[in-house]
Amino acid sequence: MMKFLVRRLVHTLIVLFGISLIVFFCIRLTGDPAAAMFQGTGQPTKEALDQIRHALGLDKPLWEQYATFIGNMLSGNMGHSFRNNEPVFSLIAERMGATVSLAAGGVAVALLIAFPVGILSAVKRGGLMDMFGRIFSLAGISFPNFWLAIMFILVFAVHLHWLPASGYNGPKYLILPSLSLGLILAGVLARLIRSSMLDVLHQHYIRTAKAKGVAEWAIIIRHALRNALIPTITFLGLQLGALLGGVVILEQVFSWPGVGRLVLDAINDRDYPVVQGSVMFLSFLLMLVNLLVDISYGFIDPRIKLGRGRT
Amino acid sequence: MKKKKTKLFSAALAVLLAAAVTGCSGGNEPAAGAGSGAASGSGSGAKKDELVVAIPSDPGGTWDPIDTFTVPWATVASNIFDGLVERGEDLKLEPGLAESWTYKDPKTLEFKLRQGVTFQDGEPFNAEAVKFTFDRLLGPDGEKSPQRSNYDSIDKVEVVDDHTVVFKLKAVDPVLITKLAGYGAMIVPPKYYKEVGDEQFNVKPIGTGPFKVTDYVKDDHVTLEAYPEYWGGAPKLKKITYRYIPEATTRIAELQTGAVDIASSIPPSQASTIESDPNLTIQKAGSPTVSLIRFDVSQKPLDNVKVRQAINYAINKQEIIDTILNGFAKPISSLQGDISFGNNPDLKPYPFDVDKAKQLLQEAGVQPGTKLTFSIDGSDAVFKEVAQAVATYLSDVGLTVEIKPQDTQTMYNDLIPKAAAGSMYQFGWGGWTLDFDNTAYLLYKKGQFWNPSYSNPEVDKLLDAERSSVVQDDRKKIFFQLTQLLKDEAVDVPLYQTMTVWGVNKKVAGFVTPPDERLRLKDVSFQ
Repeated sequence: MMKFLVRRLVHTLIVLFGISLIVFFCIRLTGDPAAAMFQGTGQPTKEALDQIRHALGLDKPLWEQYATFIGNMLSGNMGHSFRNNEPVFSLIAERMGATVSLAAGGVAVALLIAFPVGILSAVKRGGLMDMFGRIFSLAGISFPNFWLAIMFILVFAVHLHWLPASGYNGPKYLILPSLSLGLILAGVLARLIRSSMLDVLHQHYIRTAKAKGVAEWAIIIRHALRNALIPTITFLGLQLGALLGGVVILEQVFSWPGVGRLVLDAINDRDYPVVQGSVMFLSFLLMLVNLLVDISYGFIDPRIKLGRGRT
Repeated sequence: MKKKKTKLFSAALAVLLAAAVTGCSGGNEPAAGAGSGAASGSGSGAKKDELVVAIPSDPGGTWDPIDTFTVPWATVASNIFDGLVERGEDLKLEPGLAESWTYKDPKTLEFKLRQGVTFQDGEPFNAEAVKFTFDRLLGPDGEKSPQRSNYDSIDKVEVVDDHTVVFKLKAVDPVLITKLAGYGAMIVPPKYYKEVGDEQFNVKPIGTGPFKVTDYVKDDHVTLEAYPEYWGGAPKLKKITYRYIPEATTRIAELQTGAVDIASSIPPSQASTIESDPNLTIQKAGSPTVSLIRFDVSQKPLDNVKVRQAINYAINKQEIIDTILNGFAKPISSLQGDISFGNNPDLKPYPFDVDKAKQLLQEAGVQPGTKLTFSIDGSDAVFKEVAQAVATYLSDVGLTVEIKPQDTQTMYNDLIPKAAAGSMYQFGWGGWTLDFDNTAYLLYKKGQFWNPSYSNPEVDKLLDAERSSVVQDDRKKIFFQLTQLLKDEAVDVPLYQTMTVWGVNKKVAGFVTPPDERLRLKDVSFQ
C-alpha cells in the first residue's frame, strides 16, 4: 500500500508539472491580458498597454515568468488575479462550495436513480421494467444537459412556479441544477450497472448461492451488486472530469457562482494567474479522486491488492 | 467484515447526499429581494420598495472605479459613485459634484464644488477628496489601472479652498470634461479608503451616490441600500439587488417568474417572449455601441478604394436591421451613433445598389469568384447571422466570402492588432465618452493598437487639429470633414448602431432606459 501511494504521488507530480507547462504556455498564445482589460468599451493607447504590461510583470522574459509561477506554486502561493488583485486561492475557495454542492447533488441524483433502474433492468431482463430502464438510459445519454436545464426552468419555474429558476440561495435552489446534471449521468450509469449486473448474475457463485437457498434480495445486493460496483466506481471516478465540464455549462444556465464560471470568466479576461491556478487545482482534484477510487477497490473486493501483481 | 464494508458504502452515499444539501445552504447568502420579489409578484398587496435587476455578469470582483472598464460595473456603480460632472438620462452633460467649471486658460480648469455633500459613511466631500481621487489615479496606485490613460492629460490637481479645485493640464484636452463623467473619475473618500485599504475598498466601496453597497457575493449578487442623506434627495426605493445571470434565457425566465423586476441585454430574437407576457414590457434606447465591418486595406483587392466602395454598396443594411435584428438597431453613416458629438445627421450611409457595386468591381478589375476572408466574434450569435447575410450579399456581386469565427479576445487583442484577422473583420465599438474623438483617433490614426494598416496623412492632420482645440464648434466642423473623408475612402462598412433592450415588469415606475446602460435608479419606484 505504502509503495503504491509513493508511486502514485511521484506520478501525480510529473503529471502536474506537465500540466503546468501546457497551461502556462498555451494561455500565453491566446492574447494579451492588458488589452483584455479594456473590454470593448475601452481604448488602449500603446503607452497605456505597455504601462499595464509592466505593472503585471508581463514584460519579463517567459522563462522568468514561468519560474516565478512554479516557485510560488511550490510555496503554496497561487498568485494574484490580474483583475482585482485577489489571491487566486481565496477566489477558488470562495466558489468551491457552490461547485462541490452542485457536483455532489448531481452524483446523488444519478446514484439514486441509476442503482434501482440498473439493478431492476438486469434482474427483470427482457421484461417491461428492463425496456423502461433501457429507454431511460438512452434518453439520458441523448439529451444535452443545457437543453434539459432550460426545459426544467421553463416547466418548473416559469409555468408551475414550484422552484426558483436560478441563483444559489438554499437547498431548493439545488434541485433543478442537480436534476439536470444527475439525469444525464444516471442514464449512462444505469446502463453500466445493468450490464455489470448481468455479467455477475451469470457467474457460478450466484448459482451456488441460489442453490444454498440464500434469499433473492440478498443475492442481488450482497453478491451481485457488490461485484458490479467496481466498474461503476471506476466509471464515476473517470467521469469526474466530464462532470466538471457539465457543471461549467450548468453554472452558466443557473447563474451558479462556482469554480466553472470563475475559470470561464478568467479565460475570457485572460486573467493568467486565475486560469493557471484553477486548472492546476482542478487537475490535482481529479487525480486525487482517481487515487481514492483505486484505493476503494480494496475495500469493495478484498481480492484486489494494490501495489502488487503489477510487475 | 462483509457487513462493515456494505455500511461503508452506504455511509459514503449518505455523506455525499449531506454534502449536496449542506454545501448549498452553507453558502447561503440571502440574495435579498429575490425571494420577496417572487412573493409580492404573486400579489401580496403591499407596495414593494425592493427592486431586483438581472444583469449578465459580475463587474469582475472589484468596485474600485479605477480598476474597471466594464459595462456591468457602470450599470451598478452609477448609483454608488458621483463624478464632478454627470450625464443625465438624456446623456447631456450636467453639474455633478462640481456646481460649475471655467477654463481660466486652455490648460487651467477651475471647479466650484457642491457644498454640504457627504459620502455614505458621513465623511464630508470637499476639495481634498477631489485631489485625493486624482492623485491616486495618477500615482502608484493607478499603475495597473486601465483608466489611467484616459486622464493623463492632467498634470496635477490643486486645492484652492475647501470648495474650489484647479486642474493644471499637461496638454489641451477637449474631451476631459466628458471623461470626468466617466468611470475612473468617480470621487472616492480619502479617509475611508486609507482606513480600510485597497482590498476592502474593492468589495465594500463608498461614494457620494444615492445607494450604498451592503452585501456583495462575487458572481452571485450585490445588494445596495438607499442613502437617505444623498445630496440630490433621498431615493424612492429602499433596496436594490443586482443578480448576475449570464444566460439570456434564464434572465427572461426569472423576469417571467417575478423574481426579477428588470433584466438587461435582451437578445432581439427573444424580445417577443417578453412582449407576449401581460406582466412585462420591452424598453429600448439607442446605445453608443456601433457595429461595423473593417477592412484590412493592406490586402489585395481591398487596397483599392473602388472595391471597398463596392462592398459598401452591395450590403443591404436596412434589411439586416429589419429582419435579423427585428428592428432593434439604427442605420449609421460613420463609426458613431446619433447621440455622439461629431455625428453628422446629414451624412447618409451608402445606399444599397447592386449594379453600382458590380460596376465598381469591374472597374477595379476584380475577377468574379475572388475570395475574401471575414473574421467574426464566434461568441456573438446575432452577428453570425449578420455575417451570413453579408456573405450572401457579396456573393450576389461576385465575391466569395469565407466566414471565420474567432474567440473574442484572440480576435480583438491578437489578430486585429497584428493585421491577421483576414481581409474583413467584425468590429464593435462603444464610444463611452460620446465624443467622436477617442473613437476616431484610436481607429484611424496611423499606428494605433487597433489600426494596423490604414494610414492617411490628411486624416492624421484632421485628428491632430481636433485634439488641439477646446472650441466645440471648430471641432464639430473638423469631425464633419473627417467623417465625409472616411466615407469617401470607404475605410469600413458602418452597419448599424445597436440598441440596449431591457425587459421590465409593468409594476416598475419611473425607469428610464439608459442608452449607455448606466442605470440611474434614484427615482424608480413600484406602482
